[in-house]
Amino acid sequence: MKTLEEIENLSLEELGQKATEQAAPVPDGLERRLRQALAAREIADAARPRPARWIPYASLAVVAAAAALVTLPGRGPKDTFDDPRLAYAEVEKAFQTISDKMSVGRQLVREAEQTAAKPYQTLTKLQSK
Amino acid sequence: MKRIVILFAALLLTVTAFAQNGKSLYQKYSDAENVSAVYISPAMFRLIGQLPDMEVGQNNVNLTPVIRSLTGLYILNSENASINASLRSDAERFIQSGRYELLMEAKDGGETVRMYTVGNERTIEGFVLLTAEPDEVTFICLDGSMPRKEFESLIADEMQK
Repeated sequence: MKTLEEIENLSLEELGQKATEQAAPVPDGLERRLRQALAAREIADAARPRPARWIPYASLAVVAAAAALVTLPGRGPKDTFDDPRLAYAEVEKAFQTISDKMSVGRQLVREAEQTAAKPYQTLTKLQSK
Repeated sequence: MKRIVILFAALLLTVTAFAQNGKSLYQKYSDAENVSAVYISPAMFRLIGQLPDMEVGQNNVNLTPVIRSLTGLYILNSENASINASLRSDAERFIQSGRYELLMEAKDGGETVRMYTVGNERTIEGFVLLTAEPDEVTFICLDGSMPRKEFESLIADEMQK
């Protein structure tokens, strides 16, 4: 009986020679048991529900359909006005609103500038005294 | 299976984010009670033709000279307290997902006004005005084309007047 250390020191070729010299005894009925195990596994695999391969494709199809519904031209809302003159008046009104709101912003900027200038004015006054 | 569900959810979220635009906001809120809604389509803008200089009142900021073309206009004005918060948050989500940049924010007497633009270095392709008051929310979304340089110098000049 070889020790583990001796076996570890053997080269691959020596190990191969030893393996062919002594054929390992095959246990009785091993082949039959292997066949039975393989057959049982095949039956179990057939009975197990397979993951449906169509699910990712179906998901993609649903998402693509939803995207198409949202983005396809011609599915937009209906024009509020049939008369271009009324539409023009509404555009003008919208620009008036935008303009008014911008003017509010401009007024606030002016007020902020005046507030920001106060410390400078105070310092200048103090310096001149 | 779990991976498929996650993939499906991610794709659905992408589509939902994609769906947030002026049109979807308009379709969601235009029929609600106490909401006035206006939509002007690209076809109607073609009928209107080129915009002449509009009168917007003396001393007011006039954007019309820098507008090269308009292709869509959505206006929603809600005085319905039950949907104001939802309209505002949907509009903000649309602004974020559409990569709009904040142009101006003004808060005055309980009213918040925000203006956003979207486009590239040379052209502004979209403009959004969102105003929120305690009992009223207004959303105006303009699609069109404005040269960025001209637009920005107009705003800068107006601020210095």
